[in-house]
Amino acid sequence: MRTITIRPALMDGVPVEAERITPDILAGLSLKEMEDLEAWHGNRRLRMADLFEISADSGPASPEETTLVLDGDFTPVKRIGEKMTAGLVEIRGSAGMHTGNNMRGGEIRIQGDAGDWLGREMKGGKILVKGSAGNYAGSGYRGEKCGMRGGEILVEGSAGAFLGEHLCGGSIRIGGDAGDFPGAMNQGGEIFIGGSAHLPGAEMTKGRIVVEGQARVLPSYQLQENVEMEGKSYQKLTGDLVENGKGELYIAL
Amino acid sequence: MIIKGGVVYDPANGIYGEEMDLCLEGGRIVEETGEKDVIDARGLMVMPGGVDAHSHIAGPKINSGRIMRPDDSRMGVEPRTGVCRPCTGYTVPNCYAIGYRYARMGYTTAFEAATPIIESRHTHEELEEIPILDKGALTLFGSNWTVMECVKENDLAKLAAYVAWGLKSSRGYGVKIVNPGGGEAWGFGANVKGLHDPVPNFDVTPAEIIKGLARANEMLRLPHSIHLHFNNLGKPGNYTTALETLDLLKDIKASRMRQVVHIAHMQFSAYGGTGWRDFDSKAPEIADYMNKNNHATMDLGQILFGSATTMTADAPLEYANARLLHQKWSNCDIELEESSGVVPIFYARMMPVNAIQWAIGLELALLTKDPWKVLLTTDNPNGSPFVNYPEVIALLMSQAKRAEEISRVHELVTKRTALPSIEREMDWSEIAIMTRSASARILGLEDKGHLGPGADADVAVYDIRPDEVDPSVDHALVKKAFTTARYTIKGGVLVARDGQIVAAPQGRTYWVDAEVPQADTERMMADLKDKFEKYYSVRLGNYMVQDEYLSRPQVVRAGTRARVEVAQ
Repeated sequence: MRTITIRPALMDGVPVEAERITPDILAGLSLKEMEDLEAWHGNRRLRMADLFEISADSGPASPEETTLVLDGDFTPVKRIGEKMTAGLVEIRGSAGMHTGNNMRGGEIRIQGDAGDWLGREMKGGKILVKGSAGNYAGSGYRGEKCGMRGGEILVEGSAGAFLGEHLCGGSIRIGGDAGDFPGAMNQGGEIFIGGSAHLPGAEMTKGRIVVEGQARVLPSYQLQENVEMEGKSYQKLTGDLVENGKGELYIAL
Repeated sequence: MIIKGGVVYDPANGIYGEEMDLCLEGGRIVEETGEKDVIDARGLMVMPGGVDAHSHIAGPKINSGRIMRPDDSRMGVEPRTGVCRPCTGYTVPNCYAIGYRYARMGYTTAFEAATPIIESRHTHEELEEIPILDKGALTLFGSNWTVMECVKENDLAKLAAYVAWGLKSSRGYGVKIVNPGGGEAWGFGANVKGLHDPVPNFDVTPAEIIKGLARANEMLRLPHSIHLHFNNLGKPGNYTTALETLDLLKDIKASRMRQVVHIAHMQFSAYGGTGWRDFDSKAPEIADYMNKNNHATMDLGQILFGSATTMTADAPLEYANARLLHQKWSNCDIELEESSGVVPIFYARMMPVNAIQWAIGLELALLTKDPWKVLLTTDNPNGSPFVNYPEVIALLMSQAKRAEEISRVHELVTKRTALPSIEREMDWSEIAIMTRSASARILGLEDKGHLGPGADADVAVYDIRPDEVDPSVDHALVKKAFTTARYTIKGGVLVARDGQIVAAPQGRTYWVDAEVPQADTERMMADLKDKFEKYYSVRLGNYMVQDEYLSRPQVVRAGTRARVEVAQ
């Protein structure tokens, strides 16, 4: 096992694009090579060493055997764990936008909050967030027809608007409330919302959404029978009929 | 500049792979030059710069595509360099990317295939921003009110006057006809169903519009023939419409040494079957017709698997696409002139219809015997973005590659098309014809597509040693070499070397100024003024594209026969 620890060194509020912070890229590099990687700091191209303090406990390893520990507040840092396929990224603080973008495997754990676009278009792997997630978690980026296609996102807190927009697969579990339009254009993924939700499943064609708390439901959903799941009663609805959809929406009774 | 020792393919001048030196001076090919600048091309393949006669590269519909597809723009991001401006996009790239990417493939000329007159300012604004390439735009006339009225009145002189005026107003190069009559019918939620189905409120048929415009085109002696997108395009069973339309134009006499009609993206009009379930290829029928007749040429409109964006002035077709694909779409009514639409698409190997479409394009190219009649295009970006031309080249040159691909696509290809049984493999000369020489000849660009003295100094040097490479086997090498030219020279200036853009000069814009008798123009303008007063959203005085829009215009003169004879 190899543990690489990264601490913020220059955090002046300017956004940082650090798509190279992933086990796939860092695992096989020496400390010097990691420090020489490029990252954008606003409109300036800097070395990773200018932005972060990096240390590693051993020499190069495979991504599967690598843990990245991000110790500190990474709120301004975007694209952590982009396209990662294996390994573990542990963020001891909050993460910025686009964390786990296009992720294929491995795991990301975030102790604080996650920014917008968490796990967007992810295809596999797992993301755990202790705090809350921003808007568009698990969704497709602008214009994209398919958001998350596989894998798992677990958020213990709440999520912002457009949770799992254009979802095509995978599952999202939110402990708290979801914002406006969770599961919009859902085409086959699963969303579980522990708290309340506002207008879930707009234009949903396939997949399911479960809401444990209060939900305001769109008028284009058709009431079905009440169902029991894991000892609890739910009101089942299907839709979105606007799209002739076969999606399932369960609201706790 | 001297290009030394290359193996030259210049089919227009009967040169098929001869080792020779090329001299370039003052933007032209010359017999000899005193210039010291030498490009070492020993043993490498040398061709004229590529010419794309049908590509959607500028104007409102490609811009609608850009607006609709932010997902596309992140597919081709290239940062700024010392020479290049930043690039984005794949199927609908930004203007700069279009110029650089064509140049990297050894292309130096590209023509925008359709622009409505009223939107031409926009088209030229974008053409101006496309670096390196020489370009031009074909102007849409197929659903134009004035055209339909002239056709109905059977007033050919007035029609010719309008076409000449329309070309001048749009600074356009040729007459494009898209689903004639359909664009107008779409204003009422309908389409024209066949050649003899009258256009609502105009009482003319598509057949009459096509014939009228073809006659006007020849009256004006335009360098290019009419450029036609058939009725019923993209529908199963439409090959009968294609053959019927071609027959319609058989008796029209060309005013120049060229075809009477150029068919755009034939692949989309070579369909059999009664619906998508029994959809099959009628490419052999079309190719047979092309082999027996000499009045028409075509471009392929080859599709390739992957992402594409369909865009055309055939609005009802795009509406049907959007419903069929359940895709986002845009549709636009363009006043008295056209209607249009844009729909993104993904062609999938395992989708039977897409697999058959893919095979139809290749069949058309391979079954048509004369390469001078078939241009290699993908109807960029309808079938695939132009950057994938090398894939088409490799497919045409290698049966092994085709067999490999066929094994990876839906099995219906083997039952519904003749592709698996076709053995023909094209040679370098045939590829040179289909990608540059024939394109230039069909467009009527006398200084393009060949390397004779006096021709434009547009040259592509590819990293292929024709004696050593067997394209049938080394198709991967062929694809790679055509993707990245070793050298691209545009107007005597080295613009690309091994995929690096080293200079980005501004290209020229071709347009046709056709003279007609003053009396005809006056007669036509009297009616037109009335239309502008009543229906147009702009005033006549603000309509025409001004000279300021073209920084380097290249005016091609044409005109009615009588005028030209007097001039001689």
